[in-house]
Amino acid sequence: MIEINNLSYQYNNGSKVLKNININIKSGEFVAIIGQNGSGKTTLMKHLNGLLKATDGKITVCGMDASKTKTSILASKIGFLFQNPDHQIFCSNVFDEIAFGLKNLEVPRSDIESLVNEAAIKVGIEMYMHTDPFSLSKGQRQRVALASVLAMGTEVLVLDEPTTGQDYSEGLEIMEIVKELNLQGITIIMVTHDMELVALYAKRVIIIKDGTVLEDGPTEEILAKEESLALSCLKPPQIYSLAKKFHKQGFFKDSYTVEDMFDEIICYLEGERDASNG
Amino acid sequence: MINIQGLSFYYNDSKEPALDNINLNINVGEFVGVIGPTGAGKSTLTLCFNGVIPHFQRGDFYGEVKVDDKDTVETDCARLAYSVGSVFQDPEAQIVSSIVEDEIAFGLENLNIPREEISTRIKESLEMTGISDLRHSSTTQLSGGQKQRVAIASAIALRPKVLVLDEPTSELDPQGSQDIFNILKRLNDVYKITIIVVEQKIQLLTEYCNRLVVMNKGTIILDGPIRTVLGKQEILEKIGVHCSPVTHLVYMLKKQGLYQGELPINVEESYILLNNVLRGIKDGV
Repeated sequence: MIEINNLSYQYNNGSKVLKNININIKSGEFVAIIGQNGSGKTTLMKHLNGLLKATDGKITVCGMDASKTKTSILASKIGFLFQNPDHQIFCSNVFDEIAFGLKNLEVPRSDIESLVNEAAIKVGIEMYMHTDPFSLSKGQRQRVALASVLAMGTEVLVLDEPTTGQDYSEGLEIMEIVKELNLQGITIIMVTHDMELVALYAKRVIIIKDGTVLEDGPTEEILAKEESLALSCLKPPQIYSLAKKFHKQGFFKDSYTVEDMFDEIICYLEGERDASNG
Repeated sequence: MINIQGLSFYYNDSKEPALDNINLNINVGEFVGVIGPTGAGKSTLTLCFNGVIPHFQRGDFYGEVKVDDKDTVETDCARLAYSVGSVFQDPEAQIVSSIVEDEIAFGLENLNIPREEISTRIKESLEMTGISDLRHSSTTQLSGGQKQRVAIASAIALRPKVLVLDEPTSELDPQGSQDIFNILKRLNDVYKITIIVVEQKIQLLTEYCNRLVVMNKGTIILDGPIRTVLGKQEILEKIGVHCSPVTHLVYMLKKQGLYQGELPINVEESYILLNNVLRGIKDGV
């Protein structure tokens, strides 16, 4: 699906922002890209839909060479959800906003309405079709931006800091939609600082540091690499930090969520109670 | 230090109040966190402390806000600036100078502070925020975290008694966010500055604040010591405020009757009390 081979990117003044990046992402994966501010995460993402062209190396997206394919074509395969949805919304009602990309791709008029409605229902905003997007909350505007991207039949969704600047429940709403989309087969790449989010949703984690890949592996494995996380000004999720303190005593070795730890405690105490009664 | 009585505020042309009958008293030396869902009125409230509301933001203002014994309706923003320092979410929107030193001097010059005094205060506020080495740096080449520290340094150079911050870490990575809160803790512990910080990062508020104010739809629905407020998780969940994971875990154990003590505010406390719970000991930290 996405193959990044020895990718490098440097500014005109010669400073190298990305150095020899090698990453393969398969269809259907849910990957978190993490790293400190300025590590190159967003710069890397902008190569995926051709907003930036590599100065060295190659990116292949859905079989297309990103350096040789028009951004407009790449954009129909890879959808971006920016940190600030207002950067990608500009129509005066939700329907037009979602239909915009389809019109640009010259999709027949007869198909547009059903595609728009389908996308709106997927993200739960079908009741706002005739509403001005700017009168909606930030979380709702994010869903409008998401619907616009989905309507074009995107196969890969790139999210840039999806929960920054929002309250907890708004963030959760968008993530649950994203999780459902992943279950339906859409590949998700999420750039974030929020380690709790990474632990809850991502199956694979890539740490970018100083423009290179520092770590790349399954979530549980990377969360255990405290030194690498610290080098990137990141911390393991709080529950994981707590669970780890008990590993030597044999507890919580596979518990990464509040629910997991709670269940394990209940089981253990019931076992102790039965043993002392028995 | 801050006394608010019956405060209501309607933005121009709005029929719904952004703030609805707020009553709030904050004492000297407190470290207060303010949290709530989007649209709760948190930012609007911060604008009432420094006088932007009502002096620069049009609308209908009711009730009374007194900061350091000054009525914010009767005192202009410049005079209030001696008492209240403000730091907003986007440091780019606040930084006006190209060199850090000039940035900090700016507010002081505007308030006619004598020259020799300005130099002393620049040195002092850079030390207080841990960025003495950035004194002559260009503000355009700083990282997000460094810019936030410059914004804080500029605000405290006026030696305010209260520092009000509106989501100062929203753009920062976890370490950067913690660094900012460590600075706030130092300002509060060592320099006795009263801190009021609006944040969505509940983990940081839990670890650093001694009091939590929870807002929803323009009103204050909870206000008290941090552990007490965190204990009202059903109310918090209902409005979409989620506790930090370790606090939530212990709350669930408490509901199950497996623990009877205070809620923990960080991993270290959780570790101690969880060890006890696993041994069947139900009492405190």
